[in-house]
Amino acid sequence: MTPRTRTLTGWAALLAAVLICALGGWSYAQARGDDSLAYAKSRDAALADGKHHLARLNSLDAKDARTVDAGLGAWLDSSTGPLHDQLARTRSKDAKELTKSGATARGKVTDAALTALDERTGTAELIATVDVEVTPRTGRSGTERKRFEATLSRTADGWKVKALTAIPVGSGA
Amino acid sequence: MKQRGGSAVVSTDVDARDVEEHEEAAAEPGAVTDEGQPDPPAPARRWPRVVAAVLAVVLLVAGGVLFAQGRALRDTPATANRALTDSEATTRVAGDVSNALGKVFSYSPQATAVTKESAKQLLAGKALQQYAALFGQVEKQSADQKLTLTTHVVRAGVTRLTENSAHLLVFLDQVYEREGKPATTAAAQLSVTAQLRDGHWTVVEITSR
Repeated sequence: MTPRTRTLTGWAALLAAVLICALGGWSYAQARGDDSLAYAKSRDAALADGKHHLARLNSLDAKDARTVDAGLGAWLDSSTGPLHDQLARTRSKDAKELTKSGATARGKVTDAALTALDERTGTAELIATVDVEVTPRTGRSGTERKRFEATLSRTADGWKVKALTAIPVGSGA
Repeated sequence: MKQRGGSAVVSTDVDARDVEEHEEAAAEPGAVTDEGQPDPPAPARRWPRVVAAVLAVVLLVAGGVLFAQGRALRDTPATANRALTDSEATTRVAGDVSNALGKVFSYSPQATAVTKESAKQLLAGKALQQYAALFGQVEKQSADQKLTLTTHVVRAGVTRLTENSAHLLVFLDQVYEREGKPATTAAAQLSVTAQLRDGHWTVVEITSR
């Protein structure tokens, strides 16, 4: 190898390294700036958060006044916007009634799906089926099957439930 | 002020040149003893070469790391799932499955053959047995009591969608009508798995929720 070809080989190797680095950077930038990728991730986050919050909003341990208070606190934590305001307004009344009835509920989301997602406004529509196991203070527990439609809203602390409606029978006819 | 600034630049320039000369002088004896023959330009060229090699390695590593990071961003379960991201395909599968469920869960004593035929076309695999189990009783009653069943899809959402497979949650309202009696409506919720076969979404699994 003459010094000249050695120098040329060196330059070629350096050039190749620059190209490989540029290619890596380009590929990374593409992934970073991929809108549909960001959208897909929001979708999965909204679905996971929505399931979690819906289960919480259908659960309440009514053993005593303290557990009822903790449960109502969890409801407030899972909600935002209009639902949050409504729950906050009726909190003391709810606490009294739920402590008196003493029925413990445990909600389990059996399936859920997003029907719409708007990344720009940070809202999503979720449908879900929930099995609520209700255990009265005295007597046997029973399971209720419920179907819900929830509007989710993106907050600094993840997606939370803004509105929650049980879809009644006959609403689609 | 300008004068002084200019002279300062000149003086640093001189300093830099000084340093280079010192380095060359220091490297020279080593080169001579290593290779056994005097070759003055070689040590001078060694520095750029080392720098270039280090630079090349750094660039390669950086490129590799960036590429791997990009892959990690892209290769998540989120990207494989096209539900909602591909809105056209999502609408299509929701529509196809809603239509299929509406057809196979609607029944009138006069048109039993139609329902059976559409079930054969729109359902496959496990779904056919699950359908028989869900629907067998209604079928019996239908013949005995002149029962008509009409099923509407109230809501449908797609949870998972790939090239040829989909998972959906569907809310249904089922209206039962008996001759001479007021109609009653019942709610049903189904988790459905569908597969794309010959360009049509076919229901392959049904779970009642």
